Amino acid sequence: MAPPFRRVLIANRGEIAVRICRGLRELGIESVAVHSEVDRRCAHVLAADLAFPLGGNTAAESYLDIGKILAAAKATGAVAIHPGYGFLSENAAFARAVRTAGLTFIGPNPEAMDRLGSKQSARAAALQAAVPVVPGTDQDLGDAALIAAAKQIGLPVMVKASAGGGGRGMRAVAREADLAAAIAASRREAKAAFGDDRMIVEQAVFPARHVEIQLLGDQHGNVVSLHERECSVQRRHQKVLEESPSPAVDELLRQRMGDAAVRLARSVGYDNAGTAEFLLDERGQFYFLEVNARLQVEHPVTELVTGTDLVHLQLHIAAGARLTDLLAGRDLRPRGHALEARICAEAPEQGYRPAAGLLRFVQQATGPGVRVDSGVYSGWEVPPFYDSMLAKLVVHAPDRATACVRMSQALRDSIYLGIDTNVDFLRRIVDDPDFRAGRLRTDFIDRKPQLTSGTAAASDLALAAAVLCQAVAPARNGTAGGGTGATAGPRTLAVWQQLPGLRLWQTTP
Amino acid sequence: MSLQREFRRGDANVEVRAELLAGDHWRVRVGDAQYEFRVAALGDGGLRLVPVGTDAGPACVAYGAPAGKGFQVRVDGHTFMLQPPAARRADGDSKDGMVRAPMTGTVITVLCRPGERVAADQTLVVLSAMKMEHKLTAGVAGTVQSVAASDGSTVEQGAVLLVVQRAET
Repeated sequence: MAPPFRRVLIANRGEIAVRICRGLRELGIESVAVHSEVDRRCAHVLAADLAFPLGGNTAAESYLDIGKILAAAKATGAVAIHPGYGFLSENAAFARAVRTAGLTFIGPNPEAMDRLGSKQSARAAALQAAVPVVPGTDQDLGDAALIAAAKQIGLPVMVKASAGGGGRGMRAVAREADLAAAIAASRREAKAAFGDDRMIVEQAVFPARHVEIQLLGDQHGNVVSLHERECSVQRRHQKVLEESPSPAVDELLRQRMGDAAVRLARSVGYDNAGTAEFLLDERGQFYFLEVNARLQVEHPVTELVTGTDLVHLQLHIAAGARLTDLLAGRDLRPRGHALEARICAEAPEQGYRPAAGLLRFVQQATGPGVRVDSGVYSGWEVPPFYDSMLAKLVVHAPDRATACVRMSQALRDSIYLGIDTNVDFLRRIVDDPDFRAGRLRTDFIDRKPQLTSGTAAASDLALAAAVLCQAVAPARNGTAGGGTGATAGPRTLAVWQQLPGLRLWQTTP
Repeated sequence: MSLQREFRRGDANVEVRAELLAGDHWRVRVGDAQYEFRVAALGDGGLRLVPVGTDAGPACVAYGAPAGKGFQVRVDGHTFMLQPPAARRADGDSKDGMVRAPMTGTVITVLCRPGERVAADQTLVVLSAMKMEHKLTAGVAGTVQSVAASDGSTVEQGAVLLVVQRAET
């Protein structure tokens, strides 16, 4: 198949931009990275064929600036833009602006985004397509109306940003007295994250699992389901661990949820990749939450169990290919079991305090069935301006039990030093008996304070090792104490920094 | 050669002294305990530690790097953030009445004024960092003495945002 595009700009950063670069290169497409000032040596910039500086540091003055992104595409001769996830990925105005500029947007058409992009219009579309939804409001008529609606629905309720995603601008509220403050705080977060502070209120379905369906549609009316992912292990509605298939979904339920999601997507003329999120209660009843009109963070687990490459498929679809050709003769039934853990710069043991700073040493897990989608390297300084996710560790195994063991081992082998990370926390989750048994609920982490109760005091071995590290490897650690000559030189060069022939884009005319 | 370091463990300080006996053979005293290891530096920066002695544990690989004011070490599948002795936590909610920025971020709103009486768990500043909101408290009840932060300002990690004078009890 000929490359669907000649040159594609990636309007994103970090691991997802690196992952898209890989997909582009595999299809023979040139990649263009854009970056803020602090990101000029970020992994995605080093991975791309071309790099273009956006200037600024905050998301608003860089990755969210539509004018700058379009100017970058024009200057670099990109013919299409892949938005990744977050940032501008679900912004219909951006998708339109890309189209108006004569470029291709690698994502759903803006008309479908309009109908599904916001939580309130998605609810209306779901109701029309006979997809069950959680009882709640359909629009934002101001704080007073939201509070009244919450009281009518009955507490606890969820206060959600209409334009939201990724858990930002979303809060569970159990007490009437907390409603006003929760709405105000969510509005602020939503304004900062999405530039849209409209809210909706929904009944809190609880206890429940978070199960979502990966969708893929083309521009010719074909839509397929690539089955479910379970993402119940969350904290403050941010997913922590994801897997496919879900331990709670059997073939019949998979079919029913898949059909519902496909019906909804068809009804709005959806194309490209998207995800329909559902809550699944203990009786096996599912409720539509929202559609994420983009590639998801957790897309690798679907790729592994279905044997697909979603970035490749997105590109082919955007260029007009038919799913019937792209997936002809393919058996898409889930094979084996995949788990993903989000490795983040934060200390779960200290109230999830985020940790920006210098990553002095990174060594990622390898081995059979292990995949790492990373946006960092040894020597990278994690900036404080963006999401705290550093990398995604993904494993694939013949069955869930083996996948759990494999993930535990891979987390053990994952080394990130210099700043706090959640690696040990993730491993405690994966080693938890309830996790191993597949007993997952959206409050899994909240109900297990032992997961975050702090690391044990350092063992004598740890203290001895710390001093030996300083004594034997002073060159790398930059600490005084003399050397034995036993160490080779420091090995902090990432593979990216060793790549030859990186061309940085010249901005001067 | 030898190298001595002191770390905080729990509420006490521990002295750790590593001493090269011969070749790759090291003796390490941790407080009153004493261990011996054969130490091999690996090409990737890790150290393979083979304990020497009759009831020595299994061999392991250790990785270490400075982290902030402390030293981070990963051994046996666990990461430990070791702090220098008697180090006060220079960030987060401290107990000295100083409200510091736990990390670089933007002040969304300051919820108190100089002279105001505040409770220990009262949110005094809301900081936005890494796209999340963080509510900062003083950790002590008392009177707000000074406010250095202003709405919308960008602050560095560790910066003092405001000071609360502890109430006499």
